[in-house]
Amino acid sequence: MSEHSLQYIDNGSIFNRMDALSKIVWVILVILVSLQLKTNEARALALAALIVVTFVLARVPLRSFLQSAPIILVMGSLLFFVHLLTAPSTDMIQIGGMEFGKQGFDKGLQYFLRVTTIVLTSFIFVWTTNIRDLMVGLVRIGMPYRFAFTIFMALRFLPIIQQEVDAVKAAHAIRGRAARSPWAHRFRLWQRYLFTVIVNGLRKAENTALAIESRGFGAYPSRTYVKDYRLTFLGVLIVTLFLLLGLGLLLWERGLLAL
Amino acid sequence: MTASPSPAAEPLVQLEGVTYKHYGKTAPSLVDVNLSIRRGSFTLLVGPSGSGKSTLCMLLNGIVPHILGGKLEGHVTVDGQDVSKSKVQNLAHSVGMLFQDPEWMFATLQVEDEVAFGPENLRQPPDKIAEQVTQSLEYVGLNGLRKNLVWALSGGQIQKLGLASVLAMQPALIVLDEPTANLDPATTHSVHELILRLRDEGKSIILVTKDLDEFMAQADDLILLDKGRVIAQGTPREVIEQHGASMLDLGVWLPEPTEIGLRLKQRGLLAGRVPITVREAAEAFAPFHFRETATIPQVPPIQGEVLIRAENVRFGYNKKSRALRGVSFELRQGEIVAIVGQNGAGKSTLSKLLVGLLKPSSGDLTLFGRKARQWSVQDLANDIALVFQNPEHQFLTDSVQEELEYSLLAQGIDDPDEVHKRVSAMLKRLEITDAAEGHPFALSAGAKRRLGVATMLVGGRARLLIVDEPTYGQDKRLTESLMDLINLLRREGITVLMITHDMRLVDAHVDRAIVMADGEKIFDGTPTQLFQSPNLVRQASLRTTALRRLVDELRARGRTVPEGLNTVDAFVEALAA
Repeated sequence: MSEHSLQYIDNGSIFNRMDALSKIVWVILVILVSLQLKTNEARALALAALIVVTFVLARVPLRSFLQSAPIILVMGSLLFFVHLLTAPSTDMIQIGGMEFGKQGFDKGLQYFLRVTTIVLTSFIFVWTTNIRDLMVGLVRIGMPYRFAFTIFMALRFLPIIQQEVDAVKAAHAIRGRAARSPWAHRFRLWQRYLFTVIVNGLRKAENTALAIESRGFGAYPSRTYVKDYRLTFLGVLIVTLFLLLGLGLLLWERGLLAL
Repeated sequence: MTASPSPAAEPLVQLEGVTYKHYGKTAPSLVDVNLSIRRGSFTLLVGPSGSGKSTLCMLLNGIVPHILGGKLEGHVTVDGQDVSKSKVQNLAHSVGMLFQDPEWMFATLQVEDEVAFGPENLRQPPDKIAEQVTQSLEYVGLNGLRKNLVWALSGGQIQKLGLASVLAMQPALIVLDEPTANLDPATTHSVHELILRLRDEGKSIILVTKDLDEFMAQADDLILLDKGRVIAQGTPREVIEQHGASMLDLGVWLPEPTEIGLRLKQRGLLAGRVPITVREAAEAFAPFHFRETATIPQVPPIQGEVLIRAENVRFGYNKKSRALRGVSFELRQGEIVAIVGQNGAGKSTLSKLLVGLLKPSSGDLTLFGRKARQWSVQDLANDIALVFQNPEHQFLTDSVQEELEYSLLAQGIDDPDEVHKRVSAMLKRLEITDAAEGHPFALSAGAKRRLGVATMLVGGRARLLIVDEPTYGQDKRLTESLMDLINLLRREGITVLMITHDMRLVDAHVDRAIVMADGEKIFDGTPTQLFQSPNLVRQASLRTTALRRLVDELRARGRTVPEGLNTVDAFVEALAA
């Protein structure tokens, strides 16, 4: 099987060794803090910290990061341009010889930093978490295992869908271009990617459902676990550390904490 | 719920008057099926594409009808459980099923978790599961990889993991649906050895496979299906003796020695029983005299213009992996060449370089006189056609006809009359005219493959056709129809490059085989030269065909066997003369 950017990387990093529930708490904490930050400087600091986490604490290979970068950046970039071009502004700034509204730029940057932080946090979670541990953890805190497993399967399918998109993209590229307009061609291809990926994705999902049911999934209201969930000291430590960092950042930007 | 063990005399599987129609289909997939399978028996299930083999397998563990819906008539009992009344999950205690592509069967990320998944669902105690996981992984030879991620496994390891996952559930019946369809010959052989070991240990097994060579003498039963009906059930020898001719007509893959025996029998030249192993065939054919070597038609070497030249081509997906490590070869106009080698040897990477989807990291790759780097994928698409293993990936429109029209438009052919003329001609040529208005995804497996070829060739400009695994999912008749087309194209001057694990195909149809191993080309020559080098065959994870083994066996018995007997036809003709 080939390597894909959006899949679990088992490299023994600090984030790998955290338990899954602590990591979920960490994700929620980072998202909450990023939503509470009021200045773009603080948001940029938070994003920079997250990039450090990606490479130092999670040890995500640069290649995986770069492969995922378009997905990580696309949503934030779209929101940036929408606000840059549409938000009402009173002051103007020059970017690359062109004039834009300052308030629109600030607003756009705010959305870019916020959304990119949220998406990158989710990616760090996917890269560093054996989703099975998350599933067991969720069951242990009371979630029915069929629901917990649904989350697991959704995340398990991410790299498979990505693999499918790559295969379809390659196959379409060698069919040549039938439309006179490159945009019409591109539109047609996107339409088709979607169709093929959905049809094949559903077929594969059905096959997986058949396979897991035929292995007794759902036979009983509960199941046993060879590897049970254990809260780790490392998980608690990282969450505590980030809680303090987040609080520090919030206080600092409000002028309540001097560096 | 665990079924209580049944008395030994009671059949493990019993089907009585079973007719099953898939949801939304008008024709039934199984028709009035009556059969019985003994506990501890090893059963082969064979039949042409679409004969109902997979449906029958899925009936045994309740996927049919509980999950796939549809209408089931008759009675199905497995391990004492009435399938129509038992939940699929409960049948999991009795039936373990290994699918053709177990990648989709995997529910977890780590090898050991995957094996534990089934027993965990059945609420077995964790200590017992841990023991079963270790035992099952040791059985298939994967215990050393138990901490690995499932997507880091090779194709053969994936199948073995699938088998370990089934074994850990300790089912009464193991159902294996084409478990080696995607594997290289040596890995296929190692999976076959595992299956035979299970059989020796008295496990009840039902196996769907087209590689019957190693199983004909070992199986207790052979069930022949066609159009959803059981045509025959008995020992492999009984079925071959009584229904061998029908099996040939239906397009069932049979071992070459058996096929030769049947053909000789049809001509009244073989009086005794039809051989089912290489050794039996050697004994049966020993009294025959072969026609002289000189009269066996030899294919002249191809001396066409060089279309593709690769010199020391290297490619890596990342710094650590080197998918291609200095590969050099030439492809000439009008030849049929096969690229063979183990899973992950670099075959697919090479084909992606040829169509421009990848560019070499270093070395020279010249395509039709221009460097690879100067070609765009779209421009190359006019000259090189690639038919993917899964043709669905290539389809871009909502009807078969539109698929062909798209290809013509992509090549700048937009005159409506010309488009109509070419599309009609191609539909007729590939015998898919009836399906012209239908959706490409709704075609049969064989027709999809033919449409894949058609979309690539309708423009009439392609000079090189690359076909990835031509026999994948195809029965013998469909494969022969595709090979007839490929031979026709070659006569028109088109070069054909096949990426395949099918050694029968290589021996019978190609002029030259390029053998890859660990990203390097280790051989480039005729199939005969390849199969005469046992070390090379072993190194590349290949396996000689049963026909070659038969020739070797005859020679070892002192018979003079001419060169060039690389097909059943050639062998029969040489014997019959």
